[in-house]
Amino acid sequence: MNDSATRADYQGKGDATVADGAQQSGNEIEIEAVSKVFGLGAAAFHALTEIDLTIRTGEFFTLLGPSGCGKTTLLRVIAGFEHPSSGQLRIMGQDVVGQAPNRRLVNTVFQNYALFPHMTVAQNIGFGLKMLGRPRSEIDATTSEMLHLVKMEAMATRKPAELSGGQQQRVALARALAPRPRVLLLDEPLSALDLKLRKEMQTELKRLQVETGITFVFVTHDQEEALTMSDRLAVMNKGRILQLGSPHDIYHAPKERFVADFIGETNFLSLKVIAVQGRSADLTLPDGRSIPARMAQGVTPAPGETVSAVIRPEQAQLVEAGTGELSATVNSSVFFGTDTHIHLTLEDGQPFTVRRQNTVGQAAPATGARVGLALAPGALQVLRG
Amino acid sequence: MANHRFDVRVLPGFGVVAIFTLVMLYLPIIILVIFSFNESQSQAVWGGFSLKWYEAAFNNRQVVDVSIRSLWLALVAAGIATMLATLAALATTRVGRFPGQTMIYALINQPLMVPEIVTGIALLIFVAFLKVQTGYSGMGYMVAAHTAFCIPFAYLPIRARLETMDLTLETAAADLYATPVQTFTHVTLPLLVPGIVAGFMLGFVVSLDTVVITEFVKSAGQDTLPTYMLGQLRRSVTPEMNAIATLFLALSLVVVSVFFLITRKRG
Repeated sequence: MNDSATRADYQGKGDATVADGAQQSGNEIEIEAVSKVFGLGAAAFHALTEIDLTIRTGEFFTLLGPSGCGKTTLLRVIAGFEHPSSGQLRIMGQDVVGQAPNRRLVNTVFQNYALFPHMTVAQNIGFGLKMLGRPRSEIDATTSEMLHLVKMEAMATRKPAELSGGQQQRVALARALAPRPRVLLLDEPLSALDLKLRKEMQTELKRLQVETGITFVFVTHDQEEALTMSDRLAVMNKGRILQLGSPHDIYHAPKERFVADFIGETNFLSLKVIAVQGRSADLTLPDGRSIPARMAQGVTPAPGETVSAVIRPEQAQLVEAGTGELSATVNSSVFFGTDTHIHLTLEDGQPFTVRRQNTVGQAAPATGARVGLALAPGALQVLRG
Repeated sequence: MANHRFDVRVLPGFGVVAIFTLVMLYLPIIILVIFSFNESQSQAVWGGFSLKWYEAAFNNRQVVDVSIRSLWLALVAAGIATMLATLAALATTRVGRFPGQTMIYALINQPLMVPEIVTGIALLIFVAFLKVQTGYSGMGYMVAAHTAFCIPFAYLPIRARLETMDLTLETAAADLYATPVQTFTHVTLPLLVPGIVAGFMLGFVVSLDTVVITEFVKSAGQDTLPTYMLGQLRRSVTPEMNAIATLFLALSLVVVSVFFLITRKRG
């Protein structure tokens, strides 16, 4: 049937594509204006709105956002479990809208792992290749290779119910990697694990991605996971992508309030614009000193306007009162071991937090003390809107 | 989930009620079994241990005939009913909610809700009509009637199993290149086996046991074990009936035990 032809096609292509894809365009997945609406009329829920996204071959790409932001729906659209209401979706340049999940060269690691309870670990791992009709010898060889890759050789004949959560996670990974997909989709795979295991699996996932060279699309609501593992990430909220970039860009140059707030801790400041030059501006507080700031793309404030700007707590230092860009009063200090959070109030009453790396013998500033704040050059960022 | 605040055992009289209920439930059966080994013909006076009533039952050509008929009828009816019930359960759980779904549940479960005597009389009239029209009066009517009666008993455990099955497993199979047919044969069906076995066992026992449906549908010479026993009891009560009933009980226990072992191993 038509079906087997497509699958034979895939088997033939399987080995050549890695080199091809990398040379051709470098784009593994191209998403253009994809929207997904559930329900009809007044009850309609817009899970995804006009998503434009290109995921590059071989990168570790993360979709980050709070629950209900549409990140899992986007993943399910890529996998083929949901079909977009409108828009284009191409995998390796091939239009896949309307194509069933079993025809797509992507595999998924599910949040609850979804291991087949009636099969052994080895049978689970070999399932994809078996469905592709590969010969027994190849299935066996790949299965033991995958068992080795995820360090589960000793568990090959166990049933999933006899494994711990972390072990099930490894089997789910091996099962999804065994057919050597072009893209591996991971739907919050670490959320069911305890903290220590989660850290371990973060390293493990990154290692697997580098070793296999497969494009990873990772969905999470954990900003730390997103920052530590990704090559690039997209921050999503309410069905839209708010910002796309490297972890460094997203952390240090958030464009919107939501992004700045969702990722890490940050200080929001209301400041008045004195002058604008290209992508930078001079801002000021009532006490009058001028502070240079960067501006996000598409931000064009006029002099005299009040804007919202952000700076990370570790990008400001306490200095002698009267020096630095800002003056403040100390409210409280909280000791966190590696660092101390110092909560301050600026001249005009706005709150500000400084995170200071602890060194032995350094005393916390006294409550009520007046201090100056020196901001790292280029650390202040004007937000959009 | 243990509730540590309240324990039913502290209720006054709980133990007495529990023991009384269990005695009422099992005492008659125990007496029946004991008297099947009675040397004398009495159901009230113990005359010593003997297997003569079992011997009599096995030598009774009629008893052997109706037993074999009961067994193959139950096997065939439960088998067909289980297949149909599996299809019905898939259709009612593996498609989205559709208008009239609750109605469909009710229709499938008709034999559970309509009094058996009503079904029996309806079948009597309907089958009599068919017999006149077609001239056929074989076991086909019995098979059809027993099958229809067994369907809800087979349907309920199969549907329960499908409803509790993790749908992500089928999604995962599709993600791993399984076609819809492969997903069914490699994932859904193997996981459904305990439900199907339970459905079959229930259907089997129900078919083996039903008196009313058989009584109204059967033609001459189509007695099953329960209707034969009922007929014999009208004439005389001998410990031979105890022996047959005890064997019948043993068969049911075997069926239930097999079912329990299979589901426990799979579960």
